[in-house]
Amino acid sequence: MKNSLPADPFVQAKMSLRQRISIGLKQYGEVFPYLIFGLVGFLTFSVYPIVKGIYMSFFNYNIINPALSHFIGFANYIKVFQDPNVLISLRNTLLYSLVTVPGQWILGLLLAILINAKVTKFKVTFRMIYYIPVITSWIVISYLFKYLFASGPDGFINYLFYSQLHLLPSPINWLENPWTAMTVIWVLGIWKGLGWVMIIYLAALQSISNDYYEAAMIDGAGDKAILRKITLPLLKPTTVFVLINLIMGSFNVFIQVYTITNGGPLGQTEVLLSYMYKQAFQFMDFGYSSALSVLMGIAVFILTYSQQKKIGQSNI
Amino acid sequence: MLAGLLVVAGLAGCGNASGNGNESAKYNPKEKVTLTFWHTYSDTEKNVFNKEVIPLFEKKYPNIKIKSVTMPTNNLQQQVISAAAGKSGPDVMRMDKGWVPEIAKLGALQQIDTMKDFQKVKKSQLSAAMVSNLYKGHYYGIPNDVNTKIAIYDKVLLKKAGLKEAPKTIDELVAASKKIKDTKHFGIGLGGTAQWNFLPYFWSMGGKLSNDKFTKATGYLDSQASINAVQQIVNWHKQDLVNPAVLGGQPGFWDGIKSHQYLMIDDGPWFYSLQGAPAKKNTVAAQFPTGKSGSISILGGENTVIFNSTQHAAAAWIFAKFIASKEAQQIMAEKTGQLPSNLEAMKQVKASADQTTKQYIEQLGTAKPVIPSGNAGKIDDLLSKTFESIYRGKISVKAGLHNAATQLDTLLQQ
Repeated sequence: MKNSLPADPFVQAKMSLRQRISIGLKQYGEVFPYLIFGLVGFLTFSVYPIVKGIYMSFFNYNIINPALSHFIGFANYIKVFQDPNVLISLRNTLLYSLVTVPGQWILGLLLAILINAKVTKFKVTFRMIYYIPVITSWIVISYLFKYLFASGPDGFINYLFYSQLHLLPSPINWLENPWTAMTVIWVLGIWKGLGWVMIIYLAALQSISNDYYEAAMIDGAGDKAILRKITLPLLKPTTVFVLINLIMGSFNVFIQVYTITNGGPLGQTEVLLSYMYKQAFQFMDFGYSSALSVLMGIAVFILTYSQQKKIGQSNI
Repeated sequence: MLAGLLVVAGLAGCGNASGNGNESAKYNPKEKVTLTFWHTYSDTEKNVFNKEVIPLFEKKYPNIKIKSVTMPTNNLQQQVISAAAGKSGPDVMRMDKGWVPEIAKLGALQQIDTMKDFQKVKKSQLSAAMVSNLYKGHYYGIPNDVNTKIAIYDKVLLKKAGLKEAPKTIDELVAASKKIKDTKHFGIGLGGTAQWNFLPYFWSMGGKLSNDKFTKATGYLDSQASINAVQQIVNWHKQDLVNPAVLGGQPGFWDGIKSHQYLMIDDGPWFYSLQGAPAKKNTVAAQFPTGKSGSISILGGENTVIFNSTQHAAAAWIFAKFIASKEAQQIMAEKTGQLPSNLEAMKQVKASADQTTKQYIEQLGTAKPVIPSGNAGKIDDLLSKTFESIYRGKISVKAGLHNAATQLDTLLQQ
């Protein structure tokens, strides 16, 4: 680029401070139009709502007439720690994370390895089949699952496993029992997400140079040894990326819970986001909802920050 | 996280709304105004409203034009809140009765009991429908239409139970249910544990939610009469007399009566309008069976409200009054089957209505609304979860109702 600082540090050192500042300002001027839109968007849609959310969390907030809001200090935060439903929601969110992250990761990796294998035919077809859930709307898939797991002998899953295959002693009331309802939510989460994991791993697998495999084969390594000693270690950076994204994504669990169980029965399948949403838009308690969202934001930040530190240490 | 951001992002840019009421707003007949009216009418209702009711109004008030906007029903309450917070709400809206006190609490609605002719309008309406507009002793809307639930019996199972006509009392219903009961057939048509499902049984059997002023629940919700009413329902459940749809089981509420597996369900006029002729042929419509306190169903429907953000409060009030008038409600009732809240229109419609509609209008005479409160959402959640916990046997009737009454006291005081 014209007028840019010379790359050579010796030439840079010879330039006067004034020259360097003037070149630097010019450079900023050139990139400014490209940065400004992103910056304004970031300030408007990320920073402002976060600051406003923190502000609101200290009020008994009136959304339509903010002048009528009352400052209540940390009352909303104290309420969070006394509310038993928050504990249930937190438990369910963590369980969702613990079940669906390894579920998506292991199955997605397995699929990628199978599809990438030389012997596998119809690779594009398989890739498409497993990727379709990823691009399908959450709402559509959630309703699909709601009907698949309908209670009574006529629900599809009950019909299949009870009426046809006789694997169940009686039809299961899937969505009316907390644990079976959560299982449905987990299965949906894994099924919808594994296609994404598969695609990322496929790309990573294809980027591993054939030279390694050829060298290994010349040295007499078997398939298992190649997988353990070459493929998996070279996939490590991808694995870290996939896991961080899956963990953060798992805290976003909302639509499937809201659509399939709406937190029921008796609030036992509520997750943090569905509970937060209910507090705001069903109970109009925007201050309390904001306090919940601030605490959740802090938790996710700590989690992500600690993971990023680890990534930094592993030089990826 | 996304929803968390949505919550806060939705709140961004909130401004100050004006205060309550608009006593001084006077209609200037020479000023040309356009009012935006939000509703959720069905296609048939929308056609009649837009092509007959609005032209009639605009003929009477040529300088007031109505812009009728059909809103999607999904997440409508959230949309209303977001719009009101961003000052982009309508002038007038037809909204669910249960929402009025809650939206009024947020300061989005005009207090209308200071408006001209309010007392006259109030007297012309079904009093239970007026109650749903109350917040802290003031009115924030007027009825637009009403509905309620009646008992709907399957003819095949009535015959199987040896009955020639629908049971008149809850005791008769229970006796008939015992006769037809087996693993696939159920008599009592409780549709769920939400207020909308539970309350007609609860009220009819003597239960009470609160005092008449809706300020106190202890001594009412946990009274012996309330405990007995809920205990009765639990006993039916233990005897397998209640259909499985109550806890989300199969067949569903409507499927059960269509497949002659449920003797009775209770539902609103939409049951007949959506199911068409076969429903009328295969079922008998009757009053909700009478219990200790009578035959008390639940009142639903919509109210017309005026938003605080309107620049044309006086014109909006004229329009709201017109929708509540005999002539507008009669057109809607006769052409769409919507039940009128206007007493004169009700009388007129009843005279020429078919047997089913007559049952609905008669049931309206004793129907009660849910507690009007700025905490309606929380109350609904509390009561629904209480009834569900008791029904599932997670807590005893006495303890469940006592806990709920204590919590309800706090919510009613806020």
